[in-house]
Amino acid sequence: MVASALYLTNGAHQYGYECLTGMAQSKGWVRRYFKAFCKGFFVAVPVAVTFLDRVACVARVEGASMQPSLNPGGSQSSDVVLLNHWKVRNFEVQRGDIVSLVSPKNPEQKIIKRVIALEGDIVKTMGHKNRYVKVPRGHIWVEGDHHGHSFDSNSFGPVSLGLLHAHATHILWPPERWQKLESVLPPERLLVQSEAE
Amino acid sequence: MSTLQLTCQWWQSLHRTMLRGVLGKTFRLVGYTIQYGCIAHCAFEYVGGVVMCSGPSMEPTIQNSDVVFAENLSRHFYGIQRGDIVIAKSPSDPKSNICKRVIGLEGDKILTNSPSDFFKSHSYVPTGHVWLEGDNLQNSTDSRYYGPIPYGLIRGRIFFKIWPLSDFGFLRDSPNGHRFSDD
Repeated sequence: MVASALYLTNGAHQYGYECLTGMAQSKGWVRRYFKAFCKGFFVAVPVAVTFLDRVACVARVEGASMQPSLNPGGSQSSDVVLLNHWKVRNFEVQRGDIVSLVSPKNPEQKIIKRVIALEGDIVKTMGHKNRYVKVPRGHIWVEGDHHGHSFDSNSFGPVSLGLLHAHATHILWPPERWQKLESVLPPERLLVQSEAE
Repeated sequence: MSTLQLTCQWWQSLHRTMLRGVLGKTFRLVGYTIQYGCIAHCAFEYVGGVVMCSGPSMEPTIQNSDVVFAENLSRHFYGIQRGDIVIAKSPSDPKSNICKRVIGLEGDKILTNSPSDFFKSHSYVPTGHVWLEGDNLQNSTDSRYYGPIPYGLIRGRIFFKIWPLSDFGFLRDSPNGHRFSDD
């Protein structure tokens, strides 16, 4: 009977040992998964954030200040545009580009407008307190295509290039409005005098 | 025939191992560079970093070639206050940075001429803008020259000096106390 009791306890020990090793193996699996997850997380999140900050991101346009180029349908359907940060990394923009910038009156908001004049150009303003404005060094003059319904340089004057956020290159949504945004100056906004000539 | 075959095989196996080794190492190196570059960008953009200041416009608080620590959290949470020393993009040259003290926030009344003048002229800081001045008033190109700058140009707030070690620690308050008007 003692022998059988010993045998039983031995078996119980063995069973307990097998349970423990089984548990250790599953715990090892959890730890390995957790380590892989952390590694992936610390690689994926900074790369994704850097990509969205420095290369390109997507944004929905709201408001009517760029009609008819953007948001022609008004509030029913907002356009979604592709914003290209890489193109403006050296602050190089051309006249006619549609750009997004930090609003000089409200730093929490970004506005999307068209570049009308670069530094050194003289602009004939529409609704600004001065009739003619010479754009200072390091600044640009932006306007929305829908004059009168646009909060742009005619309200706050030339903006510093440091506020430039991205260059809007394509409309991505809705699908029937897929197109590349052209950099053309509206014909009625031709410059009085441009320095590059 | 057999020596040719042997040399061909030897050459192929050498190429394979070399290429695989070199190519694999190159890809790994590029991968690590991209990963650490992205982490550095995130750290500097959203947390802070070490900056070296040059120029005499913030003497005596910050001398030429001092190394300071700048944090970027205040800018994102809109917690910049009067008296903070900030780094901002220069309004006339977006590729260079300026380092000045915030004298006025939006809506503040600013004295725009030296206090020894008889007629005091003042102006109000417009919405979304800040008024910056260097501590070395005689030798500083700041908002007295180019006007208030938009808040969006501010990159970060300097709060700690690292070098030179004789001046290690938090930065002092402005030596020009009378420039603040709390109207």
